[in-house]
Amino acid sequence: MTSALDTRTETLPEGPPRRRAGDDLRSRDHVARVVLHVVLGAGLVVMIGPFIWMALASFKTEGEIRADPPTFFPQNGTLDNYHTLFTRLDFPTYFTNSVVVAVVTTVGNLLFCSAAGYALAKLAFPGKRVLFLIVLGTIMVPSVVTMVPLFVLSSNLGLVNSLAGLILPFLAQAFGVFLMRQFILSIPDDLLEAARIDGASELRIYWQIVLPLCRPALATLGILTFLASWNNFLWPLVAATTEDKYTLPVALALYAIGQNQTRYDLLLAGSVIIVLPVLVVFLLLQRHFVRGIATTGLK
Amino acid sequence: MATRPGLMSRALTGWGFALPFAVLFLVFTAGPVVASLVMSLTDLGSADLLDPLGVDIVGLDNYARLFADPKFVTAAVNTTIFVVVGVPLTMALSLLVALGLNSGLIKFRALFRVGYYLPVVTSIVAISVVWRFILQPDSGLLNTMLGLVGIDGPNWLQTQSTALPTLIVMGAWRNLGFGMVIFLAGLQAIPKELYEAATIDGARKWAQLRFITVPMLRPTVLFVAVITTIGYVQFFEEPFVMTRGGPLDSTLSLAYHTYNQFGFGNYGYASAMGYVLFVVVVLLSIAWFRLLRNNVD
Amino acid sequence: MTRPNRRTVLLAAVTAVALAASACGRDSGGDEGEAGEKVAQGKATGNITVWAMGTEGEKLSALADDFMKENPDAKVTVTAVPWDGAHNKIAAAIAGQQTPDVTMLGTTWIGEFAKTGALDVTPPDFVNKDDYFPGAWETGVVDGKSYSVPWYVETRLLFVNKAVAEKAGITEAPKDWDSLKQAFKDMQAKGGAKWGTYFQPGQTGAWQSVVPFVWQNGGDIWDGKEFTLDSPEATEAFEFYGSLYKEGLSSKDRLPDGEQEPKLLKGEIGSFVSGPWHIGLLNDLGGEGKYELWPMPSGPGDATSFIGGSNMSVFKNSKNRDSAWKFVSYLMKPEVQVKWYETVNDLPAVQSAWDDQKLSGDEMLKTFGDQLDKAKAPPSIPTWEQIAAGMDTELEKIAKGTESAADAAKAIQAQATSIGTGG
Repeated sequence: MTSALDTRTETLPEGPPRRRAGDDLRSRDHVARVVLHVVLGAGLVVMIGPFIWMALASFKTEGEIRADPPTFFPQNGTLDNYHTLFTRLDFPTYFTNSVVVAVVTTVGNLLFCSAAGYALAKLAFPGKRVLFLIVLGTIMVPSVVTMVPLFVLSSNLGLVNSLAGLILPFLAQAFGVFLMRQFILSIPDDLLEAARIDGASELRIYWQIVLPLCRPALATLGILTFLASWNNFLWPLVAATTEDKYTLPVALALYAIGQNQTRYDLLLAGSVIIVLPVLVVFLLLQRHFVRGIATTGLK
Repeated sequence: MATRPGLMSRALTGWGFALPFAVLFLVFTAGPVVASLVMSLTDLGSADLLDPLGVDIVGLDNYARLFADPKFVTAAVNTTIFVVVGVPLTMALSLLVALGLNSGLIKFRALFRVGYYLPVVTSIVAISVVWRFILQPDSGLLNTMLGLVGIDGPNWLQTQSTALPTLIVMGAWRNLGFGMVIFLAGLQAIPKELYEAATIDGARKWAQLRFITVPMLRPTVLFVAVITTIGYVQFFEEPFVMTRGGPLDSTLSLAYHTYNQFGFGNYGYASAMGYVLFVVVVLLSIAWFRLLRNNVD
Repeated sequence: MTRPNRRTVLLAAVTAVALAASACGRDSGGDEGEAGEKVAQGKATGNITVWAMGTEGEKLSALADDFMKENPDAKVTVTAVPWDGAHNKIAAAIAGQQTPDVTMLGTTWIGEFAKTGALDVTPPDFVNKDDYFPGAWETGVVDGKSYSVPWYVETRLLFVNKAVAEKAGITEAPKDWDSLKQAFKDMQAKGGAKWGTYFQPGQTGAWQSVVPFVWQNGGDIWDGKEFTLDSPEATEAFEFYGSLYKEGLSSKDRLPDGEQEPKLLKGEIGSFVSGPWHIGLLNDLGGEGKYELWPMPSGPGDATSFIGGSNMSVFKNSKNRDSAWKFVSYLMKPEVQVKWYETVNDLPAVQSAWDDQKLSGDEMLKTFGDQLDKAKAPPSIPTWEQIAAGMDTELEKIAKGTESAADAAKAIQAQATSIGTGG
């Protein structure tokens, strides 16, 4: 049992261990390295390029953004857009709302989806298959279809215009359960049986064995849930009736999109502001995609 | 000691773990879904918002009308192309990138991981502004570069034959990071020992890839396949923001058409369309499950 | 062990659906409301919740503060709502019975929301329809009753590059279709423009530039009983629209958002049709003085342009109806309308507000003001958005040359008739 709880945190494995030195093989590795760096690096430029353009454009005036031909670096850089957003927007309120909703939703999902995913993957109970099928089925319904019924339901439950109303409908994501189930499926049953034989309760097994093994999956689910919740626009718009319950994306749309035209300068600056916390969360969590623990517990 | 009390306690444990999720899910997700299913069997329109129960049941009428609607058929064809081409493309690219980043040959892994994930987290509106500049026919980046090699690039987004392929490429660009992140996690879960043992047995890298990595990744691949398919069947943002479904409805997707119908207040009809999407997704997912069935280790 | 469970679940689901279904059934009619009730005298009191979109939502609290000074017992709370998604939000609010007292509505939404029965009928003794531009007032009228009061308006004119027009030898705004087309041709031949004009080739919103041609030609969308979109007048209008592309006067490719302004200022495009918001936008791009405004050409018809804007409506289930109407009518006072113009540059819907020097003294605004006298709106029917979308699709086919104007007119008419008026 102790080896199963061994939480070594190494960095990425170096792939298959290098073979015995032979200039031949080492230089083949070297070539592969260079090629890989070049290819992935080029891809990286393509990936990041638009984002950099967007970040630079957030310092441009509306006129320059719409200029034809377009410019890359700002000719007359200005902080006006950010200044406008921070002074006109009640930034602290919207930011806090977004943070509270996203964090609670993420933590809740991590807990509930991993628990349910564990049950669906490794425990036997009546109705298990039906539950999984129902869950899977609903991932497949477009969200716009359920918007109005969900609002009527929220209204009847008294959840309209509250942070709880923004959180509860998204606290149990079918997608999250599906992800956790798939990951937990690959945990060897023997490991869990051994723990059961040793007398551990299911709760302890879940908490001390399964969860640590799932760290990559949890990190992934955490990022995806945080992202979805943070960027969620339509539901927070519909479910809030006073501005103090707005989240950032709603507030941003308010200032940037008009009846007949769009303010790209505010929109781009706002998009940069909105994306930064997600990047922070991603940077914090992405270490955990890295190997957390090997399933060496069996040995 | 698998006596009846044992079975009971296992059932309780199982449900105990699943319960918080199940309750929230049934109330907030399954409930509205069932309600919309009922909606799709009626002719609920916006005039009925205050009194939803006061509508007429029209049974499968909405569904029948769908197939006679030329826009629906066009949207269905467009969506099919988008899925059939886009899903494998995106999955292949994200798997390749994940394999590359996982191979241990790359420095600055964190930078690459963040960079490839950026398009996923950036707002679609900001992305659309950038891509529109890239794709501008006269002075856009793409056509300028093509011009250097002597190719006269078309108006990518406004030419019927190139609009949808352009969106497919944009979609792959945007969603690559999502698959990459999940594949990276999946690759991490493969025990290092398997690779070590294989190398000791003399297996080369390609063989290891074929016989260890790919099979061990099956549950992950299945997951990415299903989720990407679901996402692509419902693709909406790219056509909505970039082309508004044009030119001549060549980029009209099923989800966009559904959204429009909701906007017109044809709730019953739109719900029916939503459910057709649902059936399509279910069928495709079953196909994926069959294809990538979980084997026992 | 799972089989009985699966069956039970299915059974439960079917029962639920059946039960819900049996509760349904539409009434066979019943009269839709009475004439507007009178509003009590005196000052406004109590809480008044107001929803307003975009910039208007942001700045409305300034006017609300003034109102509260005059009515100290009243408290007005304004919630700004983004335009993006506002339609969904209001629909959901109606369904969930979470509506405010007052809301701002786009003019093309009135038909739909009036039919929900959620809007209060405008009290005729309190609000006088003659104060408003006739085209604007009509946007709030559904089935002969008024459900909403015009708050601010906008209409469309031709924005023209001054230098191009001068070089082309055009000295005054063209007055009819023939001279308009000739002007475009001259702009290309002599004025140095690549395109004489830009009309959006179909797709979302194109109808707003094309329907005025129908009106100019003496036709209409709806004659009170049925659609008239395939009448000879309408067909000619569609032909005129199509000829702009056929004769190479406008690009057949849709310009991405944000491109037509720089192109106009550069002189690449000679002209385009748009509304008052473009004044600010073009000036921001450094275009002040480089463009001029032309009124729309006229023909046998009276109206020559499209009128839009936003209206104010009170919800029927408002708990503070009388005060809500008092707030709405406060916004319609001419001096308040002028102050609103100064705050957000929205054109007043109240005609007498235009007598104010700030509006009548500005030349560009005066052109808009004159145009407003001859502007019309599409019928306030709940299905209008859907019919318009169908029109946009057919217009695109005309522009790209894949369908003749006559066929398109018939197709538009057929679609409109089958969609109906949702009445």
